[in-house]
Amino acid sequence: MSLHRYNSVFVLIFINSYAFGVFDAVNVTAPVSATTPQQAPSYVSPGSSAVVSPVVFKPAVEPAFSVALRSSFPEDLEVSEYCAELLRLFGQRYVAFVDCLVPAARPVKVCQNCFPEYHSLSEVFLNISSDQMGPGNVSCRDSILRSDRLMLVFLLNSNMDTIWQRSNCIQCVKDLSGPNNDTLYYLTLLNQTITCFEKYKQGNLTELCKNCKDAYKRLNDLYSRMEGNKTLCIDLEDAMNVTRKLWSKNFGCSIPREETIPVIAVSCFMLFLPIIFYLSSFLHSEQKKRKLIHPNRAKSYASLMNIQDKRS
Amino acid sequence: MANITKKVSWSSRGDESGPAGEETPLLNGSEQSRPLTQVHQVLRSTLRGRPKEIPHNEKLLSLKYEVKPVASKIVIFSIIGSMRTSQCLIELIRASFLASLTHIFSDIVKFTEAGGLSISLILWVVLNCVFVMLGAIMVAFFEPIAAGSGIPQIKCYLNGVKIPRVVRLKTLLVKVLGVICSVVGGLAVGKEGPMIHSGAVVAAGVSQGRSTSLKRDFKIFEYFRRDTEKRDFVSAGAAAGVSAAFGAPVGGVLFSLEEGASFWNQMLTWRIFFASMISTFTLNFILSIYHNKPGDLSNPGLINFGRFESEVMEYNLYEIPLFMGMGALGGMLGALFNVLNYWLTIFRIRYVHRPCLQVMEAMLVAAVTATVAFIMIYFSTDCQPLGPDHNEEYPLQLFCADGEYNSMATAFFNTPERSVRSLLHNPRGTYNALTLGLFTLTYFFLACWTYGLSVSAGVFIPSLLIGAAWGRLCGILLTWADPGKYALIGAAAQLGGIVRMTLSLTVIMVEATGNVTYGLPIMLVLMTAKIVGDYFQEGLYDIHIKLQSVPFLHWEAPATSHWLTAREVMSSPVTCLNRIEKVGTIVDILSNTSTNHNGFPVVAQVSADDEPAKLCGLILRSQLIVLLKHKVFVELARSRLSQRKLQLKDFRDAYPRFPPIQSIHVSQDERECMMDLTEFMNPTPYTVPQETSLPRVFKLFRALGLRHLVVVDDANRVVGLVTRKDLARYHLGKHGLEELQLAQT
Repeated sequence: MSLHRYNSVFVLIFINSYAFGVFDAVNVTAPVSATTPQQAPSYVSPGSSAVVSPVVFKPAVEPAFSVALRSSFPEDLEVSEYCAELLRLFGQRYVAFVDCLVPAARPVKVCQNCFPEYHSLSEVFLNISSDQMGPGNVSCRDSILRSDRLMLVFLLNSNMDTIWQRSNCIQCVKDLSGPNNDTLYYLTLLNQTITCFEKYKQGNLTELCKNCKDAYKRLNDLYSRMEGNKTLCIDLEDAMNVTRKLWSKNFGCSIPREETIPVIAVSCFMLFLPIIFYLSSFLHSEQKKRKLIHPNRAKSYASLMNIQDKRS
Repeated sequence: MANITKKVSWSSRGDESGPAGEETPLLNGSEQSRPLTQVHQVLRSTLRGRPKEIPHNEKLLSLKYEVKPVASKIVIFSIIGSMRTSQCLIELIRASFLASLTHIFSDIVKFTEAGGLSISLILWVVLNCVFVMLGAIMVAFFEPIAAGSGIPQIKCYLNGVKIPRVVRLKTLLVKVLGVICSVVGGLAVGKEGPMIHSGAVVAAGVSQGRSTSLKRDFKIFEYFRRDTEKRDFVSAGAAAGVSAAFGAPVGGVLFSLEEGASFWNQMLTWRIFFASMISTFTLNFILSIYHNKPGDLSNPGLINFGRFESEVMEYNLYEIPLFMGMGALGGMLGALFNVLNYWLTIFRIRYVHRPCLQVMEAMLVAAVTATVAFIMIYFSTDCQPLGPDHNEEYPLQLFCADGEYNSMATAFFNTPERSVRSLLHNPRGTYNALTLGLFTLTYFFLACWTYGLSVSAGVFIPSLLIGAAWGRLCGILLTWADPGKYALIGAAAQLGGIVRMTLSLTVIMVEATGNVTYGLPIMLVLMTAKIVGDYFQEGLYDIHIKLQSVPFLHWEAPATSHWLTAREVMSSPVTCLNRIEKVGTIVDILSNTSTNHNGFPVVAQVSADDEPAKLCGLILRSQLIVLLKHKVFVELARSRLSQRKLQLKDFRDAYPRFPPIQSIHVSQDERECMMDLTEFMNPTPYTVPQETSLPRVFKLFRALGLRHLVVVDDANRVVGLVTRKDLARYHLGKHGLEELQLAQT
């Protein structure tokens, strides 16, 4: 124990002299222990191995590691009780969010299903990152978010934020109140279309194309309008993609390539026009002739004949 | 300063004072000689007066007179740069106009879904035809010189050939409106050549400080109303045009150097560079206002090839032979293009020479272009999913599944610049190999057919597009590589194979893509393309210069011409004038349409039987016309002593449209008068002895920009006259040196 206390004093001096603020325990102890191997032979190898690959060795070294952590720092450098609580809350909500996301991946229902989880997660993170003082005059922002190189909590949250932004969910789900009116209307139309598809799927497909055209067209138009307004999120886009694929590929309802013959006739006519034009201008237009001038030359070697002779 | 300069009398810049300067004639090609000798005289006289020490006096200051025109030159060059403003605006209008038209087409297709696609095809054809007809009518009936890209004409102009009406305001208007029409009309054309031409016209116009078409004279820059000065400005304008078109200021300077300016020096280079930089700046400024970000000057040029990502740009040593192979392919395709276009142009010159036929031809090309594009789109099965960030402005669905677009339609509908950009930058898998192949093939023939129509249209962007398409095809076939890189190389190879530029094109491509990394491959590719292409056929511009029968002088005399002497090259006998000549004789000589000479040696006494007479000087047709117009006759001068003397200003005011001889009325009495040419002629014309070799004569013409060179015998008697036509008729053909024939008009 005395060894450890000595060690922690050493760490304190180290920290103060370099004025690095609060250090991560692992980061600091590792170099220190490396410089004083003969003083603490007992935990050098687990400590350093924990630094190298904490994930792999975590189950094995956890007891020794936690012991080292708990005993090496004085109270004021530890994460306060309040912050630890926040951290625990963050973890729970994070897990809940991810649990929600993964099943909603295909077909994409991220925005519709997971918005409450996202909101509670971002609420906690807001608490953590706010610079307001919590109970006991502590701000968790520095101690949780900015104390080390990894900044794990920040990284996790920003990943989730990126997912939310790329999915564009904010366009469909503003806040906790749920999907907005446009989205709901769109979903109703979508449901109508799908129901229609289901209804006629078994029978003749041309029947389906005819009967569901109205519903599909309404849905398609609404989609185009929302695309113009940029009020689409990934859920709606994906649903539309699937519907369109069903409509065009599976049911084959897009515009058929008909009336080929008139198109070919018109284009043949167009393509023949230049041939007629060039032939007629070749035959009927008089050829442009140029009058030659016979230049005045000195008498002696005027013509090219002479030039050629002279050269040979 | 102004007062002092006014007192200085040696210069010929048309101030009121200075008796010697006023009557200094406009010399051809040797303007510098008179002022310089006078400076020497001035200096010598001062030296003689005060032998040892020369106190500060006003006459010594006279050398500083050069400062004034230089300063105003810089001003003009910057104006030239910024006059691109108007063109940028026109460009932007055109761009938005075009976009809305494409939109209209997609709407047509949408609304005619019920009525049938053949209807929409006809509508489209008619729409295109109408626009192209407008453009073609403007060009064919109002200003035929505005046809084509304009680069051959500018090249000739800078070479020293006087091409009528090439830098007129009317040409500029027709050119700009015509290019809008032909691009909107959907022809396979670009707008870069016309932009370069119009840049040159703007430069020429601004430097003259007046417009004869608008009958406005702003009384500025009179000093520059001369051919040599104007030529400098035109080359600066062309450079500014390139720099605005491609966002490549250095490329613009090198373009002027490579394609144009025959008379080149360091100061001119700097000024041209200055003009191009100002041009880029102005363009950026206008664009920043257009994009609602005033003050943001980092916009690239109007044709923006986009920036390459750095990891895409990596290339390896083993790829260089591949690139050079593509260069060779580009050279061959370019030569094919040129051969086809050569035959077509010959046919056009021979048979399609009436304006109404030309308009019809242009309309037919527009119709066929639209039809071919429509057929390709109609039968294309290449559907691509719409990306989240639309690269395509107006994706056309047609027969594709919902949520997908027809990529052939995109290739045809986008503006060519945009297509080039998407060929260069779109990720692998955007284009189908079959689509690209078909597109290249049709666009190649369409572009070849279109160039040479009587619409104003350039060939830069079509060739870039063809090249980028087959280059990307190569990239797709080489499965490991990034196709965009190969598209760039292909574009360079194709363009190099068609126009055969090396230096300026390398720099333009490097600057337009904003990446120096590819300098070496592009250079190698362009070199290969040029070497391979030259083996088969000349460059497109040279072909067109040749077909216009322009006496164009290349850099060097033909290789095997050493044994030709001035005696064999010159025209003889020469129409000479006496120092004091009868007005009637002059009018008769000038009115003789069969000869239509432009420069006349002035001799001591013309003998009756064509005996050579002693040379005194050289006088130009334009000068004689001004003299006749102002009736500077010996008899009149005697009778009316108070008459004001003819000044240099009178010659400048007449420039560049000297009235034809028919418009000058000379009465029967006046025909008997005499004219004293002594004070108006160039007393020191360039002369060569009879035995001078052709390459030497050639060098003189090329280096000094001469138009007439008097050939004299050992007693300084005129035996002949060499003009550009006499030199340009020799060229190296398949069977050694060949002589071209001269034709009228």
